[in-house]
Amino acid sequence: MFDLSSRQAKTIFCVALAFIGFFLFFPIYWLVISSIKGNTELYRAVPTPVPLAPTLEHFVKALTAGKLPMYLGNSLIVSGASACLVTILALYAGYSFAKYRYAGRQPVMLFMLSAQMFPFGLLLISLYPMMSNLGLLDTRLGLILSYIVFAMPVSTYMLYSYFSQVPDELIDAARADGASDLRIFHTIVLPISVPPVVTVFLYSFMWSWNDLLYSMTLIVSDDKRTIGPGLLLTYLNEVNSDWGGAMAASLLASAPIVIAFMFLQRYFIQGVTAGAIK
Amino acid sequence: MAADMMRNYPVSPLANRRGLKGGQSRIGLLLLLPAAVAFTAVILYPFAKALGLSLFEYTIEMNAPRFIGVSNFAKIAASPDVWAAFATTAIYVLCATAGTLVLGLAWALLMNQPFRGRVALRSLSLLPWVLPSTVSAFVWAWIFNSRYGVLNAFLMEVGLIDMPQAWLSTPQGAMLAVILTKIWLSIPLFMSFFLAGLQSLDKEQIDAARVDGAGNWPVLRDHILPHLRPVLIIVVVLGVIGNLQQFDTIYALTQGGPVRATTVLSVEVYKRAFEQWDIGFASAIGVLWVATLMPPAFFYLRMLVKGN
Repeated sequence: MFDLSSRQAKTIFCVALAFIGFFLFFPIYWLVISSIKGNTELYRAVPTPVPLAPTLEHFVKALTAGKLPMYLGNSLIVSGASACLVTILALYAGYSFAKYRYAGRQPVMLFMLSAQMFPFGLLLISLYPMMSNLGLLDTRLGLILSYIVFAMPVSTYMLYSYFSQVPDELIDAARADGASDLRIFHTIVLPISVPPVVTVFLYSFMWSWNDLLYSMTLIVSDDKRTIGPGLLLTYLNEVNSDWGGAMAASLLASAPIVIAFMFLQRYFIQGVTAGAIK
Repeated sequence: MAADMMRNYPVSPLANRRGLKGGQSRIGLLLLLPAAVAFTAVILYPFAKALGLSLFEYTIEMNAPRFIGVSNFAKIAASPDVWAAFATTAIYVLCATAGTLVLGLAWALLMNQPFRGRVALRSLSLLPWVLPSTVSAFVWAWIFNSRYGVLNAFLMEVGLIDMPQAWLSTPQGAMLAVILTKIWLSIPLFMSFFLAGLQSLDKEQIDAARVDGAGNWPVLRDHILPHLRPVLIIVVVLGVIGNLQQFDTIYALTQGGPVRATTVLSVEVYKRAFEQWDIGFASAIGVLWVATLMPPAFFYLRMLVKGN
């Protein structure tokens, strides 16, 4: 794109790369490094850039002494269930928007998508009494249902843009053979839609895994707490300043989502930027 | 209306022959139904209800909301705290969006240039985006830590400050921290949008410009940036919407403090509703918050419609 044969251009390129790269990667490097430093090394006025005596003590402690495994388990249950729910809802709705013609189709779709811009905090104001009236306050089910708010609108749109590209001929041919619409969807369209379905699943999983606000408000008891508020309550308060533990726990909390993302990032990027780019 | 259509075309879903549009649209509506129910129950109804609550007085001592008309809004107009939250939000959104835009675009341009290790670097630079918000807040809180933070150590080493600064305890320092955190975690998303936009750039056009003697700067100014204009608009709009909504990292880093220095609208609404339990007043602030979101949201939807 740019011609870097001149010395000046090369210098600017390298300086910009180093500067922004440092900003992006240093915090992650520091997170990893701090998690394997022992306490004496961690609390020094001048930090060591490379750990002198790497140790896994913070990881061992986080996994054995604290409630981190329980929080992780809760997050896994809640995020997994809500991602399944959102994916299923978005699948049928996206397919309906893409392949059927009925009055009000486009306005309804745009309205649904615009819901992504309703402030989540405002919705929570009335979700809270709603969950309370239904007896779902402080339950995993209540949180799972509330997480629909985050990801369903965009998930539906992502699947809509994918299904729009599935050729009509494919569906018409099956229809001519006498297959029912639901059968066509389940046996012909779904099997060729694995990448977008996985993308949407991961997208909604990420939203609920990373959430702090809803979980912090809708869950009260410690045994149902998820990872976001769990980390915050365990490690970030005035009395306790276990930074090594906080960093180790942060890495453990990030691991599932980072690993999943590494394998699927290509689909993920395509899905998230779909619709915005022609 | 849907019921009318069904009555006019009484066909079984199995009787799908070409031309039976009524049956077709009925199946379409049926497929939409579960999502529509969920949408109405957890998004639309709570939204409408919250809007309605802005006209009520509803605090923790009350059994039922009491209608008070627009009194909440009058109270807001007379509340310097709420005005300050709007101003804080404006600064936060402006700085975070502008910062991410510049760095995200620059990073995308760098990552579009072929060099060894580019693919790996590009993948790695998505990391800040996927980390849980609490984790991002932890990392930056540790960097900004007043006693053991690496930022203080570095600034003292190069001689920019003489004494360790308690960044998160000063209004400016806390604001800087929440903005930097948001820029950091949004760069990957912005970069992805720009990279997707750069893929459709006409390389021959650039080669032709080069033959005519155009340098790097004219190529950027006359070819690359104009080409990215539509993406740029989308990214700015999405960025503004996202930043207006941001809660998690701010709350985890500063809880809106020190005092109220980083209390943006999301934190303000949360505190009014779930710490002071002044639901009606919180809803009224929320309504104004929605109003600030409307222009960018409208703009975005209009572009989507045009795109289709």
